[in-house]
Amino acid sequence: MDLLVDLFGYLSIIVHGLTILSQSMALGGALFLAFLARPLAPRLRQSAIAAGTARIAGYAAIALLLSEAATVALQAAVLMDTVDLGLWDVLSAGFAIAGMVKIVAAASMAAVLLGMRERAPVLPLLALTLIELAAATLTTHAAARLDSRFWLLVVEGLHQLGAAIWIGGIPCFLLALSRVRDGAAFRLVGARFSRMSMIGVACILVSGITMSLLYIGSWQGFYGTAFGVMVGAKIVLFLMLLALGGMNFLLVERLRADPATSINRLRRFAEIEFGIGIAIFFAAASLTSVPPAVDLTQDRVSWHEIVERNTPQWPRLSSPDHDSLALPALQEKLDQEAAANKAKPQVAFIPGGGELPPRNADDIAWSEYNHHWAGLIVVAVGLLALLNRAGLRAARHWPLMFLGLAVFLFLRSDPEVWPLGDIGFFDSLRDVEVLQHRCFVLLIVVFAFFEWRVRATSWTNRKAALVFPLLCAAGGTMLLTHSHAIANVKDQLLIELTHTPLALAGIAAGWARWLEIRLNPRENPVVWQIAGWVWPACILFCGLLLLGYREA
Amino acid sequence: MPYRLKTWLLPLLAAMTLPSLAQAHAILEESTPPAGASVKPGPLDLHLRYNSRIDRSRSRLTLIRPDHTRDTVAIAPDGPPDVIDAHLQLPPGAYVVRWQVLAVDGHITRGDVPITVTAP
Repeated sequence: MDLLVDLFGYLSIIVHGLTILSQSMALGGALFLAFLARPLAPRLRQSAIAAGTARIAGYAAIALLLSEAATVALQAAVLMDTVDLGLWDVLSAGFAIAGMVKIVAAASMAAVLLGMRERAPVLPLLALTLIELAAATLTTHAAARLDSRFWLLVVEGLHQLGAAIWIGGIPCFLLALSRVRDGAAFRLVGARFSRMSMIGVACILVSGITMSLLYIGSWQGFYGTAFGVMVGAKIVLFLMLLALGGMNFLLVERLRADPATSINRLRRFAEIEFGIGIAIFFAAASLTSVPPAVDLTQDRVSWHEIVERNTPQWPRLSSPDHDSLALPALQEKLDQEAAANKAKPQVAFIPGGGELPPRNADDIAWSEYNHHWAGLIVVAVGLLALLNRAGLRAARHWPLMFLGLAVFLFLRSDPEVWPLGDIGFFDSLRDVEVLQHRCFVLLIVVFAFFEWRVRATSWTNRKAALVFPLLCAAGGTMLLTHSHAIANVKDQLLIELTHTPLALAGIAAGWARWLEIRLNPRENPVVWQIAGWVWPACILFCGLLLLGYREA
Repeated sequence: MPYRLKTWLLPLLAAMTLPSLAQAHAILEESTPPAGASVKPGPLDLHLRYNSRIDRSRSRLTLIRPDHTRDTVAIAPDGPPDVIDAHLQLPPGAYVVRWQVLAVDGHITRGDVPITVTAP
């Protein structure tokens, strides 16, 4: 069972991401119902928006209940198994009490929202929202801090409230837009949600800046630690959201002068705002697993080391021999020793066993070679996609190059496992890094296949066209939570520093392509054109980043 | 609790939440004696200071002896909220003190402090 420790440690980050997402949707939905759907129902002359909002928030509360219950159960199981505590001893711990309060509050919210729908009483709902929020802050970094604990708890609560109002409310906003028909109603809903979003943004800004000052503390903590780099990624995603939200605000204002203004862009922007919001939630989940930057006083990366590592060099286009890698070399040595002693040979590395595999200079060269060839393929994909966008019809087969990349990665990304190494395919999946690489390969194959069929054949399935952008954005989001099993904390961070821009570019590419497909080009010709050029440019940028990748 | 549940489910669930050491949430900021230190045989006061408030009653120290046998070490019930104190009596040999702490925000982290007790 110990072999699954790292694997499930990673999965717990995913569960935490789902908890943040469902919490934001449940609380955001309750606030949307209380401050928009219910008060505006008489003026909109319909209750369907309020009923739909209650349904979204209610099901999100059930999802929150389940994910929080899973989290408390897992933590309790750990303590019962490893510290020999009884169930009562564990459930009386502060985190467990906070978790159970969250579960009870979520269950009550679900019962009220799904039982009474649009007639759900506002005051009890707001009280449950507050209880949920207060309990949630007690399981954040702030609860365990030694200094400024009270104020940190307040700003953590404010941060989660802001995310719920803005990002968590978007599904209900989209529902509302799909239910109203005239310009005045669009403006009514849009203007009210814009005001609510502004409050959300203000909460996020105030709390985010405060937490950055207290948890990061210095510029070196910002760029020289995993915590700081992940906060940087969240800031970039937040700025993307702000830009989209700002443009939506301007469009809502235009509705005042011209009620006939198309809201196609408003809806499409809101869709990708929600998608980028999900990426932020998973970045936040991965932040909880690392110590705040102010606490990590050693093993920080200096600016000089970052510049030195990222100075462009000629790509490595020839591979070292597989037998010269550290693990095959070590296994051969162990085999020889065992043969000399007439004993059963020891296994050099057990995936998921908690030990990190040995690495030598050839392992680094092997990895750089992989990244550089992958970079060449992705650069070619980006260029062909740009040429296709410019009108070169023959370049439409560019997705097939991704299939070549998938085969290349499947064969070479983890040389210690099948087919090149001795470790079997299923055994290798106990290693978090191998599992993530296999998932990325699968993602690439699926989105390449769908995108090629959409472009090169007469496949007219509109939903199939959305597979590429969705999986591209999902891959970028997954990459934000990707970690490398390297013992040296500094080397690990220097690699994260190159993978984080890759993840952000992947997310931007996915949602730009989504926009290109979903926008009406006749009503939004400029934005449609920009989106159409942005995503291939992002792919090209990913290729160039891979070409510049170095591990030493 | 049924036998199967205790021997199967709990370790599985335990495995699911323990973070890998490279991604530790609570970190050991100071250890006395420091990791890798050599000390004289006899009584030894162990002092571990973390970056977070620790729930001492739900944390554990395990001493791994040179012959790989393990003993649970009693944690002193009092002290600052970020500190774990313990008292050891060690004959010469190479030991590992394995710590697992519960931060009050619910995160569980573990790590090792290797100590060598030199011959007198």
